Amino acid sequence: MPTERDTLLIICVLGCVSYSLRAGGYIAASLFPANGIWARILKLAPGNLFVAFTAVGLWHSGWPVLAGSLCSLVIMKLTQREWAALGVGFAVVALADLATRSLPSG
Amino acid sequence: MLMGIIAADPARTPLTLGGFRRGFLAALPFLFSNGISGIVIGVAYRGLGLDLPMAALFSIAVYSGTAQAVILGMWPTTPSLVAMMLACVATNARYLFMGAHLRHLFDAVPRRRMLPILYFLADASWFMTVAEAEAGRRSPAYLLGCSVPMVTGWVGGTVLGYLLPMKPQGALAVAATFLPLGFIVTLLPTQWRGGRSWLPWSASAVVSIVVAIKLDSTWSMLVGGLAGTAISVARNDAY
Repeated sequence: MPTERDTLLIICVLGCVSYSLRAGGYIAASLFPANGIWARILKLAPGNLFVAFTAVGLWHSGWPVLAGSLCSLVIMKLTQREWAALGVGFAVVALADLATRSLPSG
Repeated sequence: MLMGIIAADPARTPLTLGGFRRGFLAALPFLFSNGISGIVIGVAYRGLGLDLPMAALFSIAVYSGTAQAVILGMWPTTPSLVAMMLACVATNARYLFMGAHLRHLFDAVPRRRMLPILYFLADASWFMTVAEAEAGRRSPAYLLGCSVPMVTGWVGGTVLGYLLPMKPQGALAVAATFLPLGFIVTLLPTQWRGGRSWLPWSASAVVSIVVAIKLDSTWSMLVGGLAGTAISVARNDAY
């Protein structure tokens, strides 16, 4: 386990890395021409990155999270309210996880 | 500090109080959802033996559920700082592209105003700000307004989770870990660009899962996302 001094160092460094990524893209984008290939990559990438993030997250999380995600999508489509979609998704994941635990193992 | 960012030069920079208020109100539910996720990370930090100021500082400085969860998994093995930095870059690389995207939305806003706001950039606030801009209301103040409940929920939840006598187990804990993924799933359709999104999105999903299975989960998101982006760029898709 890291010491307290090491922990502080790790937190500070990781904080700097995180902020560098948040601000770095913004600064880098100003260096490229608005219609060049890099600008197009930067514009098109976020949606694809989120899809990849979601796919891996769902792959690793198991069926309760998959069920909750699908319910969130449907509720969002119906209500256009993030809080309703997340609330229903949260409840579905909790209930599905409880159901999984209550099943006899083996 | 917030008022200082919002105030001056409203004609050139649309940093209006109205935009801030709209963002703040729209993101209020995230006070709860980020709070729940923050509680889970706070409980986990207490379990690792971090003290309360360090736990809170972690969530303030890094402010990223995915990166903090990955680092959390590495903590007991005491990996090198470089390994943690690489994991942080891999999980947060999307911020590079999200920040770049915001540059094109807010090109008239001076850097000295945008750079502090970007400290609070998160997945949900980015989605909401881009959707707001596409509805004809471009406002960095909206991004800042969204961020306040989100940061407050995340950091407040971390502190609360640290102090509460809870264990990071059970159905509620599993449901809490769903929330960071859940809000991306919920807001992802705002990025859908019709039938032309099928191929790049499918490629992103398939490649990321294959990389996660065959190589490494940490980098899979970046590799998968770039595969889909390459298809979009090669086809000359418009954003």
